Amino acid sequence: MSFPPDVLGQLSNAISARAEAAKNAVVAVHLGEGRHLTGMVWQSGVVVVSEQSLPRGDEFELVAPGGSTVAAKLSGRDASTNIAILKTADAIAAPALAAAEAHMGALALAIGADGEGGASARLGVVNLVGGEWHSRRGGLIDRRIVLDIDLAHREEGGPVFDTAGGCLGMSTFGPRGQVIVIPHATLTRVVPQLVKDGHVARGWLGVALQAVAVPDALRESADQSGGMMVMSVVEHGPAAQAGIVAGDIILSVDGISAHRLRKIARYFGADSIGRKADIRLIRSGAIITVQTTIAERRTA
Amino acid sequence: MSEVASDIAFARRLRVAVHTDDPLRRTAFCKIIAEAGHTVVDMQDEADIVLADGSRPPEGARSVVGLGIMDERFRGALPREADARQIDAAIRAVAAGLIVRAPVRENGFGAMRESEGHALLTPRELEVLAALAEGMTNKAIARRLDISLHTVKFHVESLFRKLGARTRTEAVAKAAERRRSEIIML
Repeated sequence: MSFPPDVLGQLSNAISARAEAAKNAVVAVHLGEGRHLTGMVWQSGVVVVSEQSLPRGDEFELVAPGGSTVAAKLSGRDASTNIAILKTADAIAAPALAAAEAHMGALALAIGADGEGGASARLGVVNLVGGEWHSRRGGLIDRRIVLDIDLAHREEGGPVFDTAGGCLGMSTFGPRGQVIVIPHATLTRVVPQLVKDGHVARGWLGVALQAVAVPDALRESADQSGGMMVMSVVEHGPAAQAGIVAGDIILSVDGISAHRLRKIARYFGADSIGRKADIRLIRSGAIITVQTTIAERRTA
Repeated sequence: MSEVASDIAFARRLRVAVHTDDPLRRTAFCKIIAEAGHTVVDMQDEADIVLADGSRPPEGARSVVGLGIMDERFRGALPREADARQIDAAIRAVAAGLIVRAPVRENGFGAMRESEGHALLTPRELEVLAALAEGMTNKAIARRLDISLHTVKFHVESLFRKLGARTRTEAVAKAAERRRSEIIML
């Protein structure tokens, strides 16, 4: 078997050059006790981090590329898309991050911060790519991107690159330790809102819901087999104002079946705020309709 | 026989030192350790295992089982809310020269699950389940919900089937797991 003797060397050099170039795209976010998390330099002074791993608090200390310590303030966080924004007191030069699409089977390079101003690299393939999906908290994620890469906790939140140096998005942990990517498109959509308002505007009723089966006796008149039972109601929220109480089973909102969670999540986007909504529900064995005005979700 | 294996006599009492700032947690850990048949020793004494809760023990501690601390150097790493059984198992395993890790992030950033695909519980079944979680007997449940014993049995069987559980405890545990991923805020 023969092949150009330097093919592996070239591949290795190319990967190493890419990793080297990505060094100034990551910062370390101190978590105390010598632990840290990775942040991604999105714009000068704007750092993106993984919301689920960022502790509560308003002030953080970062280690910028090169090793200088920089103070940062929380500018906004959105659990529904797992994006949080830190603004640094001193400007950090932002590298140009060109958006790239993920392709199944393509090589991907995940960069983390080493905590001392340098970076760490992980190489693997894009395990799978799918369409848009909704997170448990109802946020819209533009693509499903799963990586075949092991990531240390301290590396979560760093950028993921393709072989051309394009940015696929931010690395984070999905269920059972799976490494997934919050796509560049989602960051582009959400980061400006977080920078501007500190949160992502979403419609809100002020209820916690759990899926339940509609009792047999009501199934026919309800014309659906599942609904969402109200587990708790936020005081003075839109649902409370409409008289909705724990134990009610919501069947539909403006004709959208309540257990179609993705459709519901989409319906409660920013444009739903202020809209009057008809809520059809089961209470004490009868089907009734109440009306309320969708409010803006308060920050979590 | 390997060094590790010869080091450990079965049923040997291990000397365990507890490192924590929280007096309540210390009391709880000491109880767990004693009930598991080990001896609690001071941090200064020679210990087989140091159980470190929340913060790092002083440098030089040998075999550490950490609770709620991320440190690759620890031989044992458990979540902060590890139970007595897990703590004892980790102490014994680390003393036997093994490395113990709890699975990370069961609940990472995940997708909203549509409720179709698995059988939904009815409101009545949820009520029966809540009673099961309190450890009530079928008779007590019948009294509370004002339904016949026969109907309670019917609901319990239906719960077992829908949740894929064989015992009442299992049903409660599986339902709790399901709830965590199913409750949404709107």
